[in-house]
Amino acid sequence: MTNLEKYNQAFVEALEISEDQLPGLEYQEIEQWDSVGHMGLVATLEDAFDIMLDTDDIIDFSSYEVGMKILTKNYGIAF
Amino acid sequence: MLLQGKTAVVTGCNRGIGKAILERMAAQGADIFAVVRRETAGFTEYCAALSAEHHVEIQAVYADFQSEEQVKDAARQIIRTKKTIDILVNNVGFSYPFKMLAMTTMDEIKSTFQVNFFSPLLFTQLISKNMMKNKKGSITFISSTAVFDGGSDTEYTASKAAIVGAVRRLAIELGVFGIRVNAVAPSLTDTDMGHNRSEADTVEALNRNIMKRMGQPEEIADAVIFMSSDMSRFITGQVLRVDGGLL
Repeated sequence: MTNLEKYNQAFVEALEISEDQLPGLEYQEIEQWDSVGHMGLVATLEDAFDIMLDTDDIIDFSSYEVGMKILTKNYGIAF
Repeated sequence: MLLQGKTAVVTGCNRGIGKAILERMAAQGADIFAVVRRETAGFTEYCAALSAEHHVEIQAVYADFQSEEQVKDAARQIIRTKKTIDILVNNVGFSYPFKMLAMTTMDEIKSTFQVNFFSPLLFTQLISKNMMKNKKGSITFISSTAVFDGGSDTEYTASKAAIVGAVRRLAIELGVFGIRVNAVAPSLTDTDMGHNRSEADTVEALNRNIMKRMGQPEEIADAVIFMSSDMSRFITGQVLRVDGGLL
């Protein structure tokens, strides 16, 4: 499974949405991605990529695209 | 056994109340990450013996709770094992010898808060993510009856009071993930820290106690086992006093 597939799957699994909803998706744009959903997503991503997100990164993780940038820049995960 | 098949993380468990919690949890069937400040041959051997006696896994993890980096490293080490964490006991605690605020430095106040409050909160923030993913868990902090009767020095009492506030709020925040958060508040307990005061202060404290004695570490540990187990599954956001009837 590629990193992009793992990343997308984390969103689909944690937020219970379909993959076609992901591009452009922003935090709190949909009901499922509230603060509770956010923490579920963080836990799923940490598990999928074997990382531990810093609190600053959890706060900054404001959209599907920004999340990818954070994972690339701060955790060396290439998409 | 109350904790069979569960995995626990217990901080500050090489002596006193923490050691009693470690022993009681092992006896109740839990696998345990035992977080202590530094590696010693004695503690390693002790964990091995306890593990063999109760047929549970006990893994020592080292972190000085004065250092947030070490706290993060310890959490990382635990999370990387991919085990489901069912129980967290924030037992680690620290106090200077009993004295007045006027004779206490700001560095002493800050270091007390670091070990008793800030680092446990950081550790909880990191470990609770594992619990959130699994939508279950029990977190128990060790507070103190000093919160209610002012029976210890200012910075220790205040740091333990901060825990009570955190417990109330965390119970709400983590409740949606099926995670319970409680505190156990012991009175003067028969540990090294419990003897960290003058004889006169000890007598005065015991005179206000219906049972007229110090608590034993095992008596505090039993309350922690209750809070950690499914026996307390409908209890969250609470502070359980274990104090021999402190008046």
